[in-house]
Amino acid sequence: MRVLLIDDDEDLRNLLSRYIRAQWADAEIEAYDPLERDMPGADFPLGSYDVVVLDYMLGRGDGLEWLKVLKQRPECPKVLFLTGAGNEIIAVRAMKAGADDYQRKQELTREKLISSLRELTANPIERTVSPDLASRMEGHALGGKVRIPGIKVLHLIGEGGTARVYLASREDDDEPLVVKILRHEIVTNKKALERFMEEYDMVERIQSRHVARIVGHGNYDNYAYLVMEFFEGGDLNKRLAGQAVAPAEALRFFRELMFALGDIHEKGILHRDLKPQNLMFRRDGSLAIVDFGIAKNIAAADRTNQGEVLGTPRYMSPEQVQGRALDLRTDIYSAGVLLYQMLTGEHMFDGQTAMEVAMHHLNSHPPLLPEHLQQYQRLMDKLVEKDRDARFRNADEVIGFLSRNFEQNAASDKTERLH
Amino acid sequence: MDEKDCKVMVAKDLEDLIPVFMRNRHKELDALRVALAAADFEQLRQLGHRMKGVGNSYGFAHVSTLGKYIEDGARSGDRGALQASISEYDEYLSKVQIAYE
Repeated sequence: MRVLLIDDDEDLRNLLSRYIRAQWADAEIEAYDPLERDMPGADFPLGSYDVVVLDYMLGRGDGLEWLKVLKQRPECPKVLFLTGAGNEIIAVRAMKAGADDYQRKQELTREKLISSLRELTANPIERTVSPDLASRMEGHALGGKVRIPGIKVLHLIGEGGTARVYLASREDDDEPLVVKILRHEIVTNKKALERFMEEYDMVERIQSRHVARIVGHGNYDNYAYLVMEFFEGGDLNKRLAGQAVAPAEALRFFRELMFALGDIHEKGILHRDLKPQNLMFRRDGSLAIVDFGIAKNIAAADRTNQGEVLGTPRYMSPEQVQGRALDLRTDIYSAGVLLYQMLTGEHMFDGQTAMEVAMHHLNSHPPLLPEHLQQYQRLMDKLVEKDRDARFRNADEVIGFLSRNFEQNAASDKTERLH
Repeated sequence: MDEKDCKVMVAKDLEDLIPVFMRNRHKELDALRVALAAADFEQLRQLGHRMKGVGNSYGFAHVSTLGKYIEDGARSGDRGALQASISEYDEYLSKVQIAYE
């Protein structure tokens, strides 16, 4: 394989070359430093490469401009475009300019790079042997097929159990958006389809800045889709990256989460699946809840949901584990488990199996916070009480508790960093 | 800065790249100081952006975090915050411990 690697950062060129050679020992890599060399001219043998990896910020050039020029040449190979995280409008423009894939540089792992290059350079024979690759190819093909008025579906960015998720853009102004397309096999499942459409109905009803904004929904050729805002700040899982965040920041996120829960509970909706992957950040740092795939009307949950266990075991309330009728205190408990993880960088309970973790929520005392976080212990205790009658009753109570006990601390924590 | 931030695990097969990586970080620190002294916020923003991109890739998450602070500080022209972040970067580079796995 021949790779043209265009990046102004020596360390990234070294790293990406190493990853590629570890996978393809005989790969020929041309490390192209745009600080030393001008844009490849007409005499540059562009067609002799199998793939180009092109960075957006080239030091003394704009990768998007380079992309446009290179893509005008008929022999231009597939291009993997690298963007900075939190700059999705550039990704949108790159895909429109002809990039064949894009990756957020900050999150570019060995696996993601190899997977992308493999996909870009795969021949038809390889495509038939790898189920993962076949699934992604199918996803890409589907994205190119679905027509949504005013929206351009650009690129597969994620796959879940029920839906594929695409980066998209509004045709008028290139605003990045997300399109969720329900998997075909789920469309034929009446219950799953109802749940997907219920998600749209519920989220539209909430209309809160703490909940993902829905731009539209509909059907195209037997595919159900949902168009929603794109979150440039990524999700809480990425923010945490297996580590704690500063207490003041954890409390800020938690307070935002409480406002979000207040808004959705007010509309009579339980989320029931709070987890780091479902808490998204906008560019301005504000937080919003997404994925109401298993959310329920409070009345419906109370009436019909006994015996059904849904949710993510790490964040499940004891009553959820038991399959009992739920009320809004189940979300308060899950939010408490999330706060524990934000403060300590660790899961409240671990186990070999999902069932083991779930049983801890039912039977084990939550671990105490470490010494330096003791001031939050009382808050934590009241969030993750096994007995829901002893828990905070609603988000407003929690917000009141935070205001009374931590607002002063939050202000002093914030100024601490500046000195 | 947390003590945990100063302990970095790097993949064994990247070990030979680390001396160059660290040398570039020290050069970067010098460039940050020069840019701050000259109040060259565009240069500071670019350097911060580069740190943000390269740190996580090698497993140096704190380099990315500080890069973000520097990029944000350069955008808002906050010299105090930039000075604090650059000092922290200096301290970090002097303390960082690298283990290979």
